[in-house]
Amino acid sequence: MTPPTLRRVLGGLLGIAVVALLILWIGPSTIARFRADLLYYTGQHLLLVACSMVAALITGLGAGIALSRPSVSKSAERFMQIFNVANTVPPMAVLAIALAFFGIGGTSAVFALWLAALLPIVRNTYQGLAGVDGALKEAARGLGMRPLQSLWQVELPNAWPVIMGGVRIALVINVGSAPLSFLIGANSLGNLIFPGIYLNDPSQMLLGAVATALLALVLDGLAAWLTLRLSRHQAPSERAVV
Amino acid sequence: MSLPTLRWTRLAVVPLAALALCVAPLAQAQQPNIRVAAKAFTEQRLLATLTQVYLQHLGYSVDVTWGLSTALTRPAQLNDEIDLVWEYTGTSLIVYNHVEEVLDAEASYQRVTELDGEKGLTWLAPTSFNNTYAIAMPEEIAQRDGDIRTMSQMAEWMAAHPDQFHLFAMDYDFAGRADGLPGMAERYGYRFSRSELRSMDPGLVYLALRNQQAYGGIVYTTDGRIDAFDLRVLEDDKNYFPAYNAAPVVRTDYLQAHPELREQMDRLSALLDEETMRGLNARVDIEQQSTTSVARDFLSSHGLI
Amino acid sequence: MDFTTTLANMDWQQVMLLTWQHVYLVGIAVGLAILIGVPLGVLIVRLRWLAAPLLTVATVVITIPSIALFGIMLPILRNTYIALDGVDPGIREAGRGIGMTFWQRLWMVDLPLAVPVILGGVRTAVVMNIGVMTIAAVIGAGGLGLLILNGIGQSNVPLLVIGAIIVSLLAIVVDTLLNLLQRLLTSKGIEQ
Repeated sequence: MTPPTLRRVLGGLLGIAVVALLILWIGPSTIARFRADLLYYTGQHLLLVACSMVAALITGLGAGIALSRPSVSKSAERFMQIFNVANTVPPMAVLAIALAFFGIGGTSAVFALWLAALLPIVRNTYQGLAGVDGALKEAARGLGMRPLQSLWQVELPNAWPVIMGGVRIALVINVGSAPLSFLIGANSLGNLIFPGIYLNDPSQMLLGAVATALLALVLDGLAAWLTLRLSRHQAPSERAVV
Repeated sequence: MSLPTLRWTRLAVVPLAALALCVAPLAQAQQPNIRVAAKAFTEQRLLATLTQVYLQHLGYSVDVTWGLSTALTRPAQLNDEIDLVWEYTGTSLIVYNHVEEVLDAEASYQRVTELDGEKGLTWLAPTSFNNTYAIAMPEEIAQRDGDIRTMSQMAEWMAAHPDQFHLFAMDYDFAGRADGLPGMAERYGYRFSRSELRSMDPGLVYLALRNQQAYGGIVYTTDGRIDAFDLRVLEDDKNYFPAYNAAPVVRTDYLQAHPELREQMDRLSALLDEETMRGLNARVDIEQQSTTSVARDFLSSHGLI
Repeated sequence: MDFTTTLANMDWQQVMLLTWQHVYLVGIAVGLAILIGVPLGVLIVRLRWLAAPLLTVATVVITIPSIALFGIMLPILRNTYIALDGVDPGIREAGRGIGMTFWQRLWMVDLPLAVPVILGGVRTAVVMNIGVMTIAAVIGAGGLGLLILNGIGQSNVPLLVIGAIIVSLLAIVVDTLLNLLQRLLTSKGIEQ
């Protein structure tokens, strides 16, 4: 076996061992007791994540692209500073404020999770696009590409790894913050975590927390795979340019 | 706003008790000392403050431990760290004595008097208010849907309108307990779909009902928000919910040393009915007055101080 | 339960106490995170094969609200690793050339060069942790999260919003201060 394959196999075995240990730690009886809840709340959790991530991707990629256009390059840094300040606001505070505007439930949660996921996407899209070699853009123009063509065929493919880095961070933050939406009356895996804390049932709390962590890992792995997969569509020579 | 959280109070109990033990012999010469505990919610803070102000007026020196959790209150009292606490019959029956039988208000009181009496605790005369669970609906929705007044009527309406979405809000405690949601749904024949059931923080249940986001929800019958948020409490016509009548519970030792306390506390308990308690709670929770000023007001208007 | 009544009834002394409690909790957590995160960062520069699994574990840990307190190690760990990893091989070679041991190079060359980046990690950690400590009120740790939790418990939306604003202001102010500190502590020689 070659070293990379060996490492992958070892990594896989380690992963299985960790999951097995976690199940032992939580206790199979707890899992059996909360099986229906676990499935239901995982679904609800995924629903929150999906809605807020789709919104964050659309707005975040859009804003990042807009900010990287030459016509706004002067004010772009200032906009990014505003985004940075917005990012220091704790998710719990955003949830609380959302509750005041949208009432209890899913809408508030999606809004807050959208905001939490927005900044990493905007930042990395902007930085990724701004970091594309000027010579490349020059060459694209030289070939007679229009700005949109250049963006689509040259700039975005080159900035892709950086952008996806931001998306992955956003995804993990999003999945990890979603349990908090229990506190504003939306369904998520937080419905296992917080009652577990309040009612002094540590195994219930752990079940929710571990499920959240595993969900984050799996989705992050999926995003990593997607990054690699989509990067392969580029011609090897094109990737070599960077 | 209750600052002391579980951990702080747990830490605080020991030195407080130690202090009380050192001070008690000195103080007893001039005035009786009494140690009162309050659990961590508004009604309990109010009852403890009422007791504090009232007994101070009668010449007691009163130490109050604030914000104890239900799980800690009973052990603290059995450990001789607390003399008096306002208890609920249902709490003692179900949580402390693990009695699963459902009893009415009077039988509950009789039973806890016997069971706790054996442990050296005396239940004084109960108040007439019953702080139990109830289903509340937004007044407007209750009127709209055929003027629903009882829990059975709600079940009938829901069965007759299966296409309507009936979001039911409840606190996580009620949702998880066998004598909570599952038993209630069985007794009254509620058929909620999974997406209609939402468990959340108790404070959010009231918000959901006020905003008419929820069709019905679990509330506590003496909560001040019921009137303030225009909610209608449905009658428990099949007597599902246990009785939670409040009464002062005193260590029997202490009562033997201070027999006059019984009659003094009875005068206070007699004044507290459901309407009164809800009003007092509202003044703290809704109008945000301090428990001390509410207690002083109430006691002086009834001539107790 | 309107905004003005709530504002008029705020116990500002208690708010100060909670703010102080919040800062204190964050300080302890970040202090611990530095003590553990920086050495671990040094370790994984030496033992590369540990880098990927350790960083992955740290990523997972931050997703769990109740143990996220330890997750604030992640930015520190990662930035230490990135900073040490990014030290110019030429400089490292030069250190080796004049006969420095690994520890001497680490202490006198690599770490001073890495300070700005590590501080960047500390700053991220502090800001993250101010957010996380908001949730710590759930497990009875106190702090400004208590205002938000009390707001929820009492169905008092204005209190909830005031609590959220105070904790946000704290995060923004601390972030700005640390940004200044980071600039002050950057060695003149490596400013760009």
